[in-house]
Amino acid sequence: MATTTTPNATDWPGRYYHIDQILEKAGPRTDPEWVPGDKAKEWLREGVKVLVIGAGGLGCEILSNLALTGFKDIHVIDMDTIDISNLNRQFLFRQKDVGKSKALVAAEFIMNRVPGVKVTPYHGKIQDKDEDYYMQFTLIICGLDSVEARRWINATLVNMVDPENPQSLKPLIDGGTEGFKGQARVILPTITSCYECSLDMLNKQTQFPICTIANTPRLPEHCIEWASVLEWPRVFPDKKVDNDDPDHIDWLYKQALNRAQEFKIEGVTWSLTQGVVKNIIPAIASTNAIISAACCNEAFKIATNSAAFLNNYFMFIGTDGVYSYTFEHERRPECPVCGGEALDLTISPELTLQELIDLLIERQDIQIKKPSLSTPTKQLYLQAPPQLEEATRPNLEKKVSELVPPNGDVTVTASTLPFSLSLRIAYT
Amino acid sequence: MSAGNESQTIESATTTIESAPDQKTRRYDRQLRLWAKSGQAALESAHILVLSSSSTSASILKNLVLPGIGQFTILDRTITEPKDAGNNFFLEGQKSIGKPRAEEATRLLLELNDGVQGHAVVNKDVQEVLASADGAEWLKGFTLIIAHNVEKGALEKLSDLLWADIKSPPLVVIRSAGFLAEIFIQFHEHAVIDSHIDTSPSLRIDKPFPALLKHATSLDLENMDVTDHGHVPYVYILVRVLEEWKASHGGNLPRTTDERKAFKTIIGKMRKKSDEENFEEAEGQAYKCWSSTVVPGDIKSLFTADATASPPHTKPFHYLLKALEIFTTTVEPHTLPLSATLPDMKADTKQYVGIQRLYKDRASEEKGIFKDILAKVLKDQGEDSSLIDDETIDAFVKNAHILKLLKGKKWGWIDADKGALSEHAQISSKQLGIHLALSSLSSLQFKHIQSQSQSEFAPTLEELTAAAQAILPEGVELQDGDLNNAVGELARAPTADLPNTAALLGGVVAQEVIKMITKQYVPVEGYCTIDLVETWTGVL
Ligand SMILES: [Zn+2]
Repeated sequence: MATTTTPNATDWPGRYYHIDQILEKAGPRTDPEWVPGDKAKEWLREGVKVLVIGAGGLGCEILSNLALTGFKDIHVIDMDTIDISNLNRQFLFRQKDVGKSKALVAAEFIMNRVPGVKVTPYHGKIQDKDEDYYMQFTLIICGLDSVEARRWINATLVNMVDPENPQSLKPLIDGGTEGFKGQARVILPTITSCYECSLDMLNKQTQFPICTIANTPRLPEHCIEWASVLEWPRVFPDKKVDNDDPDHIDWLYKQALNRAQEFKIEGVTWSLTQGVVKNIIPAIASTNAIISAACCNEAFKIATNSAAFLNNYFMFIGTDGVYSYTFEHERRPECPVCGGEALDLTISPELTLQELIDLLIERQDIQIKKPSLSTPTKQLYLQAPPQLEEATRPNLEKKVSELVPPNGDVTVTASTLPFSLSLRIAYT
Repeated sequence: MSAGNESQTIESATTTIESAPDQKTRRYDRQLRLWAKSGQAALESAHILVLSSSSTSASILKNLVLPGIGQFTILDRTITEPKDAGNNFFLEGQKSIGKPRAEEATRLLLELNDGVQGHAVVNKDVQEVLASADGAEWLKGFTLIIAHNVEKGALEKLSDLLWADIKSPPLVVIRSAGFLAEIFIQFHEHAVIDSHIDTSPSLRIDKPFPALLKHATSLDLENMDVTDHGHVPYVYILVRVLEEWKASHGGNLPRTTDERKAFKTIIGKMRKKSDEENFEEAEGQAYKCWSSTVVPGDIKSLFTADATASPPHTKPFHYLLKALEIFTTTVEPHTLPLSATLPDMKADTKQYVGIQRLYKDRASEEKGIFKDILAKVLKDQGEDSSLIDDETIDAFVKNAHILKLLKGKKWGWIDADKGALSEHAQISSKQLGIHLALSSLSSLQFKHIQSQSQSEFAPTLEELTAAAQAILPEGVELQDGDLNNAVGELARAPTADLPNTAALLGGVVAQEVIKMITKQYVPVEGYCTIDLVETWTGVL
């Protein structure tokens, strides 16, 4: 599949009639230093290497836009396989492709449809790759639905920046959608606000208190959570729920329905059960098209300098008319990835270490799922390895004030995140 | 709660067990969560006409074929040129060159979804179709027409034709070049019952219906078990406190800041334990007692909407509005019908299900009254009672607080309205700059076509600026640089259908088309202008 392509071998006269109008002449807002013409075209078509992370709803669109725009060396990473529910928007896939690798099918489709474009797929996780791998790209476009993966790539690219080496700064363009809404942004690691800086803009996922689920359900969602969180592990202690297995969902649905009837709660349906268990976010082709186009347009502007690129956030809402908001998201000085300053946290001297951990998980601007905590002199609590977890577990019951002096520093890490968070603890 | 209600709850909760979804439901799962089966059915019965098979048109179609539009027809006699094969994903590179572009695009678009039918008409263009009476009727038979960069002469004729007949389909006009674009939907009237606007209906705490009032005031909070006390829904608490407040304040709601503070203090003092979350919630929701429940202004203004010049498809909506107006003026307490949907609140199962039942029963009673009124309205109008089905009535009552009625305008209205041009030059100069620049580009292009010149269309900055300024009333100017920024981009790329601009338009237009066809969510009103140099959209 990955044959080497001689540049221009497949270019026919007039192929870039449309794009070349932009590259042959400056616009009124173009940087006056910019030189239009062949150099700009050559760089776009032969010099630039782009990485696309995600070959799903956004990824399919991003790949086709990049290919038509004239980017010819494109890499794509995705660990997922194609599901039937992808076909209402992921337009490079067909019924016959269900079960195959998204990255591989997408790459092959693009190379067939747009001659002369080389797409190199990788079916796997972004965490499989190291800094050397990411260093080879001119820019990176992210079309992911996972917050965790975005935090990882964002932190990796910020860490990679070496002030001595301008090539080490890789522009990151990130897109995301939900229903008729979406956003596209440009991140220049260490220069503009990063993904971590804006963590508090994410919608908070609804978490139902366990006592409500166990004892006083009111909503159909409470019954579904009961079925998946409490009933499944009780009946199948050795088996995890597979969200993609319709038989599993069916079982959960029936349990939830029984419980709902017992409590006279209405509204448990198959579709709601699946939605709650898989945390499904509605997705349509048109919104993905808008956000991917915005991302690729920025990639084009960054790669060619033919117009200034977005500084730095574009938000689109199509539910009530056409509304968008373009603004500069500010850096957060206490951002654990690009900020460098410790986060000041004032807590009650009565607060236990376990309660502090719960607080960190809860906080919208931190959202660390399984944090390990230490001070410069001792380990407070470690999630792994098991021996250390056991050794530090008694600390969970202790008051933080017994473990950390006033204005003491605490470092928070998590295995899923390639960075640490510095806290400075004060007491009320 | 009465025994009768108990047995009702059990009955309604005994629902049939669904089996796992079929193939089609699984395929469309992620969109059914947005517009449900009703929206999907509307999409599947639509047949749209697209004038041109440009990259932008193909992008729009892609985003309509994927969610399962019923049928599309492309009208375009263009033969694929090398430049088309370079910017359109629904052509197969050099293999498509020399073949009818609409046929190639149709073939490749249909690969995306077996459930869609597509047709290419390649032996005539829209001018020729418009020239015959049959052609005009054919155009009016579509659900909706999309026109991307259709030349000015044909576009104006098409717009005139459709505007002259109130039964005509909506016309979506898209103009784009380089980084700039504009979208406008021409329609007479568009009614939306399920607008999905994120506003909660009133709980009528200040005007409690008899069963709610009775239940709230008869609760023996003082002697109540501590656990139960901590699970009394906040609605009961507020109804109770507000009734007492009104009794001691001449029937008035808490009006001043001090009064409101005092009101919250009363709630706070009712706690048996400091950590009762339901009382905390009641204090948080106390603002619901600051103003009295009335018919929202947006909805009231719909009652004065002129129904005499309405197209057939919005007639039922106007009858429903008439019935709603009568309901709000004749039925106590002169509000919208009560909504049966209750938000979640701190409560135990029994108390929550109980209050839910109170609201449901009352809502269904009020819906019954509304239906009787509607039946009379239909009879008075000489309409058959079957004109509006129960499902529509249910949806109307459920969404009575977020109804939308859009009055459309004819394509090009703004260029003839000096007042609007002067106003927008002040308040939305950048957006107007894009509109004027694209208008001037299409005028010059029309002249170029009429002159039958063999040369490439390449308008100069001066020509474009002059044509744009000619549209503005005398003495009116845009803010500094706004016209030049727009016109300059078009002088740079007057005929460029850029892949990214096309893809973005494909998304925005498809969203609007879906909203028009499903009659859910709210379509854009006015000219939506787009600048992809600075990456923004704005509406005129
Ligand atoms: Zn940051």
